[in-house]
Amino acid sequence: MSQVNREVPPIWTTGWTDVLNTGTWRSAIPVHRKRPSPCRSACPVEGEIPVWVQLAREERHREAWLTLALNNPMPAVTGRICHHPCEGECNRGRYDGAVSINALEQFLGDLALEQGWTLPEPQTGPEQRVAGLEQRVAVIGGGPAGLSCAYQLRLRGYRVTVFEARPELGGVLRYGIPRYRLPEAVLAGEIRRLLALGIEVSLNRQVTAADLKELEEEYAAVFLAIGAGKAKLLPQFPAGDARVFDGLNFLDAVNTGSSPRLGRQVVVIGGGSVAMDAARSARRLGSQVKVLALESKGSLPAQADEVREALEEGVLLYDGAMVQEIGGEGERLSLACCKVVLDTGAPQGVLRPVALPGTGFALEADNIILAIGQDPDLSGWDEKLGRDKELLAVDFRGMTSRRGVFAGGDAASYERYVSAAIGQGKKAAAGIAAFLSGEVWSEEPAITAGEVSFAEVNTFYFPVLPRQERETLPVEARLGNFAEVKGGYGRAEAQLQAERCFSCGQCLECDNCYYFCPDMAVVKDSSLAEHYRVLDQYCKGCGSCVEECPRGAVVLKEETR
Amino acid sequence: MGYSIAEEKIFNSGHAACPGCSEALAIRYIVNTLGRDTIAVVPPSCIAIISGPQPYSSMRIPVYQTTLESSAASAAGIKRALKAKGNDHTKVVVIAGDGGTYDIGFQALSSAAERNEDFIYVCLDNEGYMNTGAQKSSSTPYLAYTTSTPSGKPTPKKNLAEIMAAHGIPYVATATTGYPDDLARKVARARELKGMRFILVLTPCLDGWGLADNAGPKTSRLAVESGIFPLYEVEDGVRYTLNYGSKGIPVGAYFSQQSRFKHLAQAQLDEIQTMVDVNWRRLQTKF
Repeated sequence: MSQVNREVPPIWTTGWTDVLNTGTWRSAIPVHRKRPSPCRSACPVEGEIPVWVQLAREERHREAWLTLALNNPMPAVTGRICHHPCEGECNRGRYDGAVSINALEQFLGDLALEQGWTLPEPQTGPEQRVAGLEQRVAVIGGGPAGLSCAYQLRLRGYRVTVFEARPELGGVLRYGIPRYRLPEAVLAGEIRRLLALGIEVSLNRQVTAADLKELEEEYAAVFLAIGAGKAKLLPQFPAGDARVFDGLNFLDAVNTGSSPRLGRQVVVIGGGSVAMDAARSARRLGSQVKVLALESKGSLPAQADEVREALEEGVLLYDGAMVQEIGGEGERLSLACCKVVLDTGAPQGVLRPVALPGTGFALEADNIILAIGQDPDLSGWDEKLGRDKELLAVDFRGMTSRRGVFAGGDAASYERYVSAAIGQGKKAAAGIAAFLSGEVWSEEPAITAGEVSFAEVNTFYFPVLPRQERETLPVEARLGNFAEVKGGYGRAEAQLQAERCFSCGQCLECDNCYYFCPDMAVVKDSSLAEHYRVLDQYCKGCGSCVEECPRGAVVLKEETR
Repeated sequence: MGYSIAEEKIFNSGHAACPGCSEALAIRYIVNTLGRDTIAVVPPSCIAIISGPQPYSSMRIPVYQTTLESSAASAAGIKRALKAKGNDHTKVVVIAGDGGTYDIGFQALSSAAERNEDFIYVCLDNEGYMNTGAQKSSSTPYLAYTTSTPSGKPTPKKNLAEIMAAHGIPYVATATTGYPDDLARKVARARELKGMRFILVLTPCLDGWGLADNAGPKTSRLAVESGIFPLYEVEDGVRYTLNYGSKGIPVGAYFSQQSRFKHLAQAQLDEIQTMVDVNWRRLQTKF
């Protein structure tokens, strides 16, 4: 009998399960998708916040800043004074404190100024001529809205001229916001960098409605961003009394080095940012300051940290109160005041105070600063362009009723924030570009659709890491000068705080979707923008990848067959 | 950031585990870490189903399906036979359920441990006979609903990790699927050692526990963070190392994910919380 020498196969099987189609079991399949974050939806300039914070976290600071600058040419300015609604919406706010987006913006903005980084080069070249980019646009008003619009148009390659009535550019940034919130060097640096893109500027040039026709002959489009420089007045206060200032004029005088001489007792009337700026400036000029506001402390229109810092500096707040009568013999004004509640039945945006009986009190004042809001000076413009109450009326792309004339900023919106104006300037630039190139432009759908909610963030992957605020100057170092109150982050602090971002809706290739698949149905594929491929043959649709994605960048899509 | 787990592709797609199955996920990190030079022993269980409907296999290694009571004896025999042939390199691993480990296979397991047989025993613990319709095992937790304990199991879960540690074997570890890197690391550690190594892996059963298809990893982490199933290692029965322990999450947060505890009254929850706290404190004294 011959010996059969057969090698025993190591594995007794006729095949592997990977020939089977377990994918037929499922009714939904995961899709890797970049989704909007709440911060981006809240951002007035629609900044790609999770993207630049991620770049900052990777210490790719210049790329981070360029991403930031794509939607806003002045990050060092807004990094200081933006009202940062992004932080209010930040998903991390419901965990261990919102990401300090504003401070990170300041860090990158300051780094860019320090390093001398330049903005992206405008599109130029012969092919641009074909596209009609030799067309010229006039921007009237060199404040945040005007500068933002000029920047966005220049980036696209258009030729832009900014007309500014005052001797210098900046608008409210230069003539309104006090230096202790926004140092002059920061503003000047960001404007200089912006102008280096080749934007023409015509200073000390007050453009009036009468000049419109002439401008239209020379320019293919006009953007009107004349701001809101006409202070509202109260009937109780006699016009022409030298002891009464309006907040805008007062701040203008302080910022241009011609502060009026204030008496010892100053009363500021109003509860918004201008009121806080006026009160804190008067404090720095040596006066005792009281602020009288209709709203209660918790619902003042001013930002919470402005109010906090004002109180730290010794400003006394009389909230939920109003002036009923002005009197006083001789030098001093005497204000008869009372406590009020606001009528909740009043139309939106209207404050209707109701005096509370028996709550009367009196205040003495050497000077009064009125800061109860401001309107644009529309004289002449409204006849040509159409108005909507106290504003210029514009359509969704920012165009007025007159073809080719656009408007934005405080003159066309009640959203009186610098960043909102920058956003409106950006939007108007897109509208102008569409108008000039004859493109049909329809309103974009709201970007909040499909936003990542806090429930979709898997917090297991984010150890608690507290938010750190920027340092502020001690109170005694603030009074008597206009030195900047808020400090900025150093590199290490910025790094640590950037780490806190959930990066909602952004795939960071953490591979959780790959590692948690019991069916090995998620594979890495670096050739794809979404980084991963889901294998149709095997995926059973359990959704573990969706659940284990730390940041909501995978969603389940229902399948019908 | 993110996990980085080295895997050899042993476990195949196309297996018959339920969508989102924790056992399939555990098997992935067990066999993909052990690698090609491994023989697996599997008793009747879901694992036997997942290893493949004959003639297909989901694992690119030899898998020996043995009887429910004899996994440890079979593994010991295979390992001794390999050694007799001069093969000292091929690893032998048992992958069994809790029924085949805590109950029916326990005699073989305990005596193999006593003899310090040279193989790895992994118990995928889903706290019941889930493959046959969710009956109770001695691993089922106190008061949990199963089809054979409709008003809740009257006795607590057997503490198998401590029983195995008491055998003084070289390595005992607990692990779970919500921490795949920790599971893979423990399997790799067991692979490097000689003698009996035992790993107890908590694998939430989506169907038997009444969980959503995507809730396996999350539930497994809640078991750890509530202190019900701490992740730790014991060397030679004496050297204890804690990997992940209680974060003070109430047991109710873990139970609320599952339907098998939904009948519990607050007083019963409080009673369980006290038991968990006592067990966690007792375990902490060993580290």
